[in-house]
Amino acid sequence: MKFKDYYEILGVPRTATPDEIKAAYRKLARKFHPDVSKEPNAEARFKELGEAHEVLKDPEKRALYDQMGSQWKSGQDFKPAPGWDAGFEFRGDAGGDFDPNDFFEAFFGRRGGGSRRPNVHAQGEDHHAKVMIDLEDAFRGAQRTITLRMPSYDAQGRMVSRERTIDVNIPRGIRAGQHLRLAGQGGPGVGKGGPGDLYLEVGFNPHPLFRVDDRDIYVDLNLAPWEAALGAKVEAPTPEGPIQLTIPPGSAAGRQMRLKGRGIPGQPPGDLYVVLAIVLPPADTDAAREAYEALARAFRFNPRGGRS
Amino acid sequence: MTGHEPDFASGPVVEEKIHLTLVELCRASQVPEHEIRAWVIEGVLEPEGGTPEEWRFPGAALRRARTALRLSRDLEVNLAGIAVALNLLDEITALRSRLEGARSSDDPCATILVE
Repeated sequence: MKFKDYYEILGVPRTATPDEIKAAYRKLARKFHPDVSKEPNAEARFKELGEAHEVLKDPEKRALYDQMGSQWKSGQDFKPAPGWDAGFEFRGDAGGDFDPNDFFEAFFGRRGGGSRRPNVHAQGEDHHAKVMIDLEDAFRGAQRTITLRMPSYDAQGRMVSRERTIDVNIPRGIRAGQHLRLAGQGGPGVGKGGPGDLYLEVGFNPHPLFRVDDRDIYVDLNLAPWEAALGAKVEAPTPEGPIQLTIPPGSAAGRQMRLKGRGIPGQPPGDLYVVLAIVLPPADTDAAREAYEALARAFRFNPRGGRS
Repeated sequence: MTGHEPDFASGPVVEEKIHLTLVELCRASQVPEHEIRAWVIEGVLEPEGGTPEEWRFPGAALRRARTALRLSRDLEVNLAGIAVALNLLDEITALRSRLEGARSSDDPCATILVE
């Protein structure tokens, strides 16, 4: 188990007042909140902030944490001494939104337990999870096996993490950010209540060729100067496989060719935009240099002709 | 193989096929009903139908409600702040999408349609 320096995570000294801790947390939380942040690892950072704040905002937990002393460094291997928590009692009502982990549980392991009400009948909670698929899967549909870690309670009322796998059909035409509703795959019901539903949010893995904007897809296509000038028939990649594309003569770099209905399938389907780029062959042989010189002589072309 | 595939779970795409009642949206988003009602009054969510019992939320309301919940819970953003933040997030999404088009071409006429 690695030691986590909650003060370092919030960027405050160990002597910080509750107000300073709150202000530091708020400022960083706004910066790394996954809904508003484009920082890499925003989600992980935000969870870490939540965990640090959870401990340091609570005088009892902070005192316990401080008792470990200040000699520990972030990331150091860490094992609490036996009897380290003598004299502390927790109400077990921590309410933050983060994944409890080894380090946190070593301190505050009784989180959440003991509040089950055995004689109530209620439908289980609806759960949320995320599944990443490839763009191509949205064209064909796909089957995925996902593993969910679900908190549950053992016979002693302690929270344990249980793994559950579900085989899921991902329908054709799904888009990033959409949710599938899987009936009865959520949390178990209490008493005679039925299970809740599982809402599965779909995301696309980054693709080396294609960029996705809702139902439209963009792909860059490199052309030789003569292909762009004279027109050509070239092969262009699409998520459904390469197609033959007729490039009209006089195509400029940056021009986009819209292939209607070749985006993500659906009602209506999206479009595929092929964005043209012109790539110059290097002048690295005598023959190549001569060819460029012949071009220069043939054209007497001033590309800055518009300027005075 | 005679069709004895493992049992794959299937379900509807919430954003396309489903309208949610107030009760369903509360359960799915894990937002208390009084907050959803307040968000409707503030215009954060716009269901069809007159009375709360008749409200039908489009599937996209689920994502919106979840985002609103996280903003209010994690950042203690208040009701009006949530409305502003969600509008700005919508605007950022729209601008990013236009930027993707603009990145490809300065001139919208430069798009040619290929049949």
